[in-house]
Amino acid sequence: MVRNLLGILAVFAAALLLVAFTFSATVEERAAFTYVSGSEPKSLDPHIMTGQLEGRIADALFEGLVVRDPRSLRPVPGVAREMPEISEDLKTYTFRLRPEARWTDGSPVTAHDFAWSWRRLQRPDLGAEYAYIHHMIEWAEVYNTYGVQADAIETASEDDTSIFEALEELREAHPGGVEAAAWQSFLAEAEVFQSLKGVGDPVLVEGLARSEGSLSQSELERFQSALRTEGRRRRALFERAEAHYGIDEGMWAEDDHTLVVQLVAPCPYFLDVVAFYSSHPVPRQVVGVQDEEGLYVNEQDWFLPDKIVANGPYRLQRWRVNDRIRLVRSPTYWDAANTKLDTIDALSIENQTTALNLYLTDAADWLPGNYPTDLVDQLEGRPDFYDTRGLGVYYYRFNTTRPPFDDPRVRLAFCMAIDRQLIVDDVMRLGQIPAFHLVPPDLADYGYQRPEGRIRFDPEAARRLLAEAGFPEGRGFPKDVGILFNTSESHKKVAEVVADHLRRNLGVEVTAYNQEWQAYQATTQKLDYWLARAGWIGDYVDPNTFMDMWVTNGGNNQTGWGDPVYDRLVRSAANIDLLVEESESLFARLKEPEQARTLLAAYRDATTDADRAAAGAALRMHCFREGEAILFQDAFPIMPVYYYVWSGLVKPHVRGFYARLDLGGGTEGANLQDIHPLRALWVEK
Amino acid sequence: MARAAATLAPEKGTSLWADAWRRLKRNRLALGGAVLLGLVAVVCFVVPVVLGLDSETTDPANSFHPPDAHYPFGTDNVGRDYLARVLVGGQTSLLIGVAATLASVLIGVFYGSLAGYYGGKVDEVMMRIVDFLYAIPYMFLVILITLQFSKEARGNPLPIFFALGMVQWLTMARIVRGEVLTLKNREFVLAARTVGAGDLRIIFRHILPNILGVVVVYATLTVPAVIILESFLSFLGLGVKLSWGVLVSEGVGVVNPIESHAWLLLLPSLFLALTLFSLNFLGDGLRDALDPRTRR
Amino acid sequence: MRLSSFQGLLLTLAAIGGVFLLVGMPPIQAGFIVLGLALLALPAWFSAPVVRVVGGALLAAVLYLFLRLPLPPALAIVLAAAVGFAAWCYVPPRILRRVCVLVPSMVLLVYVTSLLMYSAPGSPFAQEKAASDQVIAAKRAAWGVPESPTEFFKIYMTRVLEDFDFGPSLTVQGRSVMDLLGPAFPVSMSLGLTALVLACAIGLTLGIRAGLRPNSFADYSSMGLAVIGISLPNFVIGALLLMVFALSLGWLPVAGWGTYSHLLLPALTLALPYAAYIARLSRAGTIEVMQQDFIRTARAKGLSEREIVFKHALKGAILPVVSFLGPAAAGIMTGSFVVETLFGIPGMGHWFVKGAINRDYSVVLGTAIIYFSIVIAFNLLVDMAYAWLDPRVREDL
Repeated sequence: MVRNLLGILAVFAAALLLVAFTFSATVEERAAFTYVSGSEPKSLDPHIMTGQLEGRIADALFEGLVVRDPRSLRPVPGVAREMPEISEDLKTYTFRLRPEARWTDGSPVTAHDFAWSWRRLQRPDLGAEYAYIHHMIEWAEVYNTYGVQADAIETASEDDTSIFEALEELREAHPGGVEAAAWQSFLAEAEVFQSLKGVGDPVLVEGLARSEGSLSQSELERFQSALRTEGRRRRALFERAEAHYGIDEGMWAEDDHTLVVQLVAPCPYFLDVVAFYSSHPVPRQVVGVQDEEGLYVNEQDWFLPDKIVANGPYRLQRWRVNDRIRLVRSPTYWDAANTKLDTIDALSIENQTTALNLYLTDAADWLPGNYPTDLVDQLEGRPDFYDTRGLGVYYYRFNTTRPPFDDPRVRLAFCMAIDRQLIVDDVMRLGQIPAFHLVPPDLADYGYQRPEGRIRFDPEAARRLLAEAGFPEGRGFPKDVGILFNTSESHKKVAEVVADHLRRNLGVEVTAYNQEWQAYQATTQKLDYWLARAGWIGDYVDPNTFMDMWVTNGGNNQTGWGDPVYDRLVRSAANIDLLVEESESLFARLKEPEQARTLLAAYRDATTDADRAAAGAALRMHCFREGEAILFQDAFPIMPVYYYVWSGLVKPHVRGFYARLDLGGGTEGANLQDIHPLRALWVEK
Repeated sequence: MARAAATLAPEKGTSLWADAWRRLKRNRLALGGAVLLGLVAVVCFVVPVVLGLDSETTDPANSFHPPDAHYPFGTDNVGRDYLARVLVGGQTSLLIGVAATLASVLIGVFYGSLAGYYGGKVDEVMMRIVDFLYAIPYMFLVILITLQFSKEARGNPLPIFFALGMVQWLTMARIVRGEVLTLKNREFVLAARTVGAGDLRIIFRHILPNILGVVVVYATLTVPAVIILESFLSFLGLGVKLSWGVLVSEGVGVVNPIESHAWLLLLPSLFLALTLFSLNFLGDGLRDALDPRTRR
Repeated sequence: MRLSSFQGLLLTLAAIGGVFLLVGMPPIQAGFIVLGLALLALPAWFSAPVVRVVGGALLAAVLYLFLRLPLPPALAIVLAAAVGFAAWCYVPPRILRRVCVLVPSMVLLVYVTSLLMYSAPGSPFAQEKAASDQVIAAKRAAWGVPESPTEFFKIYMTRVLEDFDFGPSLTVQGRSVMDLLGPAFPVSMSLGLTALVLACAIGLTLGIRAGLRPNSFADYSSMGLAVIGISLPNFVIGALLLMVFALSLGWLPVAGWGTYSHLLLPALTLALPYAAYIARLSRAGTIEVMQQDFIRTARAKGLSEREIVFKHALKGAILPVVSFLGPAAAGIMTGSFVVETLFGIPGMGHWFVKGAINRDYSVVLGTAIIYFSIVIAFNLLVDMAYAWLDPRVREDL
């Protein structure tokens, strides 16, 4: 009987196995080009995605008005027929589109598609993380945020009572006026006040900044009515933007093949942004389908293989979750004749060892960085290894709201106690550059000169600072301080070395500990940490992408630090005209006010648009310099460690791959953003 | 419980344990396991203290130093002494194994003996809850519990003891309940009851000493399971700061055709495997010696 | 004073609720859990006729949920009622009692899992750049994931009961839980089955060989071999196998899914720990059988050793293994995260771990329900196999 049972079971199992296996496995021929993409893409909607690996695929599926030339990464015409016409004041861009550009369903790609797509990026209910990247366009920010802010002012606060009711309660509770401390904690509790930072109304500005004395009933009343006015103002502006943005104001389609974009102020990196995946067009004919109630029915899944319509060099043929994405050459692409690879496989492999094994056994042609970092020494000597300096900075955030890190001396002491040279030479081992500032040195080529900072490796000075702050030789320093990093072997190494340096050079006990990404994000955003590892990779080649993170309560700030002078500098850099009316109150607080005054005078007095633009650009860079001086001469909200280096392995038969850029005229450059457009690759065996 | 075992049912106990000891002595593999285990434990807990080993101080310039006279186990990827790390890691792994097992024994024995002793509807309900908990994916429970405490713990193994103990007691409860069910109608229990002993007294003074053997066997087998589970958590990056699991999951990165630092995987794996091997054989040997079903 | 068991139950439930309240759990949540536990416990007090009625009704209700999707409602009701009635008449109360427990178990499972997920730090909507409260609130509303776990539970259960819809994944945009787990299921199934067969083959061979001659060299060597499987973590064994067979010898591919050659190494890696347990169980079983009197009789009758082994020892070895197979199968099909990562296989194990790590609430619930169902299904199969193998058990099934 047992033998019968075994026999039956065996037959049963074999049959089941056969069925299940055939059902699950589809044997495919190897793609012409296979690369290890990394983890599973979270989305292929260019407006929703935020990651480099998703962006790489999006750049193959969609084409923006301009694209990056693979050799130099400079913007060159894409769907636009030629480079845009730029007005004299550098604020209006006119793109003319190629009439032959087509979607995969055969319909032409028009300026209306772009206007619609760019408007979608700002749609408040889409909640696109990268919406801010278009905020230099007139009305974009208003459409994106003002409606929500007006709602916040008018209705919600913590427990759904309106903010005005809360204010009334506060006034009733304190008939004799509200103490500044109580006032500030009231402000901190309701998020609505954070969206008011940078508001113009003097009553609100003063009210929000109030940190001494007490606020009388009449002051509160004035604040309340100013707030009400502000809410109404934002509502009105939002309604205007909603009616016009992407239709006839900010940016709009002049005709089927002309797109006009108006910027708030000259923006030197605007074309980089146009080439960025957030500016890709999405198919209106699919994404825009609405049901009777006006809901976009395809919004969440229009990019899946059975629905997607795209306009790029490749089409999405298959997407097997956790396995691979198969791209095939798109016959409808206007330049299909120059797309060289027939098929591309993007493998979803998270494990770095597995990824390396696949590459080494020729199952993949390109491994962009996902190899075990401990093998750098062994891989570095190989002919198929490449590395290039990157536009990114690796740093630790300080929680400036939690003692003892509310004391800048303690922060500076920490910054001075770690040996960055040792970390890059012996831990990272890829020739990374030690970072004592925020903005990577490569931006110097683009006209940015970094200010002097106070950070250097100097354990003696660090100990002195710590002693000044009340912790001589680390005595009395809290014992429970931790260094948080998100789970990763490489972050772990750095964090453990940093903890060890702090222990040895300052005598403080710190523990490196990790949380996985989801918890790590929640923890840093709630300011529930002491030190937290972070990295920032520039979205475009301009200091702004690094500087605008640190404005008070900015979404990426997460240190609790803020400085109104810094905020004004960053705002002025984005729009120099803000300085023309009132600059002295800002300049008086700068390190090099004379230079700022000279530049502003040159800007104001310029006779030609070209002079004006040059002076404006110089003043803009000066604002960044002053901003960075605040960060690294006074405040130290972060502890920079090193500037990134990109590296990877690519088979020699892969062509059209530029680890070093060819900038023309025999000059080479670093591929700062690690961009290797798939459309430009081919294989030569 | 141990005290109870010593004071109670002396004749029965002596013969049972003496009998078991005689049988265990015949099983050379189990004996060897016990000796090896003791050795590993002593080495892990004593050597770092005696030699003053430092598992924390980094020296990146000296990373991936192969084993030699100065560094018998070489150094790791940031130049820490690997001998110290393997031994200190062993302390954590062994502690986690023992602590989580103890937790599971305490809960499991208490729960299982109540269910088995009262029987009937009480048993049915209690076992139903165990069945229910069994059907929750345990890995997922462990992950959620460790996530819960990731901030407070900061690499401290306590939440992991707790999480692993929480998933391991179920099997213990089932086994104990089964044993108690068969014992509770035996003469000595009935005798105790006629004398007027209370339920708890009967359970703890009369029944438990008789199932101690099974508990010991199963506990011995739980320890390696817990240690393996901990290494899996380390593989996910949810584990403790330093344990064999951490070292092994980091060391796995060296397995690839570009040769490299094999000792980083082999040395902790060796310690881990030796320990688990010994525990498993000791457990099997104890089972042969103590478990009535395989008793001759 | 002695309590009746029912009073004991009430007291215990009250105590559990009290403890939950003491540790700061909101009353609604504590209430829900206590209620769920009560429902779980209640069928123990049902008499056989009550069990028949309740079990039949529940069976009909569950069946109706499934049937109403493909069939017109009237027909579905009639069919479900017919089956429920048939169950009331013919299915033994022991099985119906299980049904009575199963339904509340499933609901309690969903609730408890929701609570656990919500209590973990971080949310599925976390993003690198802190978003404003309004944006998060809008997302929560759009995805049906409110701030309160109890509200979430209500929304989820309604969705499942009304449309048999397990919700959209919260972290993989555009995919429903079904989209993610559907294609992964056959992958895990083929991997798991192969591993299970391998585990049985290896485990039984080693276990019986060891059990026939306890404490001999054969015993030590077989068990030594078997125990390797539980002496090293899966990922080490997998990596070593990979090193030897894929990288050094080049016989098998290093990773991927598509041909039978992709199946072998991961299945072996997955099988080894289970083979070790099976070997241990079958060894004990064999030892026990070989000490029985009837073996002596068989030997005396002149049966060859081979026949003895195949006729009797095998049975003794298999019986304890069979009851292990239920939980083992569930574990092997769902707990293959490590093997999947190591060998790049698009299976279900991934979602068991990533669901929890990414706080993808609907994926977590989906995986929990699948695991639960697999455990139940295999336990049922095991019980049936057991009854068939061991007539003593058959009567009480």
